[in-house]
Amino acid sequence: MAMEKKKVLIVDDESEIVDFLGRFLQRLGITAIKANSGEEALKKYSQEHPDFIFLDIQMPDKDGITILKEIRKADSAVKVFMITGKDDKDLQAKAKKYGALDYITKPLDLSELTVKINNYIL
Amino acid sequence: MKAEYHKKLQIAARQTILIHRADTLVRIILRTIVASLKVKHAGIFIYDKVKDEYVVKVSRGHSGIKVPAGFIKTRKDSPLIRYFTDKSIDFPKEHILWPKICRRIKSYKTKKDIKIKKFLEALKFELSLYEAKACIPGFFRKDLVGVLFLGEKRNKKSFGEEELRFLSVLASDVVMALKNAWLIEDLNRQLALNKRLLFQTVAALASSIEAKDKYTIGHTERVANYCLAIAYVLRKRGKIEKWEKFLENLKIAALFHDIGKIGIPESILNKEMALSDEEKKIIQNHPLIGANILNHIEEFKEALEGVRYHHEKYDGTGYPFHLKGRKIPLIASIIALADTFDAMVTDRPYRRAVSQDKAIEEIKKAKGIQFAPFVVDAFLNIYHSKGNLWELSQQTGRQLLLNPDKLF
Repeated sequence: MAMEKKKVLIVDDESEIVDFLGRFLQRLGITAIKANSGEEALKKYSQEHPDFIFLDIQMPDKDGITILKEIRKADSAVKVFMITGKDDKDLQAKAKKYGALDYITKPLDLSELTVKINNYIL
Repeated sequence: MKAEYHKKLQIAARQTILIHRADTLVRIILRTIVASLKVKHAGIFIYDKVKDEYVVKVSRGHSGIKVPAGFIKTRKDSPLIRYFTDKSIDFPKEHILWPKICRRIKSYKTKKDIKIKKFLEALKFELSLYEAKACIPGFFRKDLVGVLFLGEKRNKKSFGEEELRFLSVLASDVVMALKNAWLIEDLNRQLALNKRLLFQTVAALASSIEAKDKYTIGHTERVANYCLAIAYVLRKRGKIEKWEKFLENLKIAALFHDIGKIGIPESILNKEMALSDEEKKIIQNHPLIGANILNHIEEFKEALEGVRYHHEKYDGTGYPFHLKGRKIPLIASIIALADTFDAMVTDRPYRRAVSQDKAIEEIKKAKGIQFAPFVVDAFLNIYHSKGNLWELSQQTGRQLLLNPDKLF
């Protein structure tokens, strides 16, 4: 039985990162939807119903925690990975508190990320 | 076409010498590689000393396939890094080529090859993460400083021997540039650290006088702050040459101006009645004692003048040398005014403090008599623009001495 492709929403204000992660995840057989801002993320989220989300914790228009809260209001099941700029323990704890599954810290190790994706998603 | 490609690489190599910033050079080299070899993307992992891992610091190519700079890292024990650093992995270290790795994996068939086969499979997997078809190491002596990685060529052809040799040359250029840049960074860091250490030592030593003369508590720092403020105004008015050096000397001299009081008996320093002529003579020695103390430090030669002459007066009636007018070094003229002003607005053993406005009036009256006219003008300028000088003297305290730019 063919499994339906998983869908991921990637949110980051740096389009280079969104494009890179998108291509990377697509090569793992995942459908990637991209958003470059908080507003766009919420819109795409309600349209596309992704299975999981990569969410940049810091963006100019809306920060990741705010988006996380808004998404959690609508849906408690979607798996959210926060992308954090540095090892910010406070922010990471906050993200977990509001229901992020895990976080990845820039710069990230793609081998480790692949393991995480295999464990959590595929 | 080949000649053109050589030329471009030569230009890139020549720029190595001209460009001081390593990241600019690396960017130029990557741009040259992408354009000349017509690869879809290229990037470089550079060793990060702090994190002790390798981070993609610069990359080129279209968004998506290009590995975003600063976004990806790889560990020291990753297959890619180990391929170049682990002696037990017995392959030619000058480069990694995707097709060669694939062929090797297929060639291992027996059970005893399982370990090396697994390693190569892990390496292949890692290469696939970056969509890298060729990797070239950059060594400095035995240290792997960076790894250049290239994507597929647009025409899908493999990399030629000559191309790979040139890439090796470029990789070692990158390494040299990085090493130089790091060396300069280290030196600058060390220099800044030494300077901080110097000023903290000076401040600590200068405060030792406060232990003896309770009326000088805070005085030294306040005087230093006034001095810096005056110096900044004078600089704006073009009165100071060699600013950096001057500022450094002024800071040291201002902090040390009363250090000679260490050699004066406490009974005289803290005496509440008028001093006898004999006692006056003793206390008037403190600029000289201070200068003699600092004389031991070669580097303080110019700062020393500020200490030695800070009680000289413009009309020649000061002490201990009775210097007159422009014979008094600027550094000492500035300290003299700051010192007198602070003495006036704070309590002394023999009299109470006067108000700031009153002190300013006295300073105005003493212009051209006790103080150099342009130093008085600079001080009045600060008074008029800041209003409250006491606040100025207090606001940043020790911090100001380390970062005087915060003042303005």
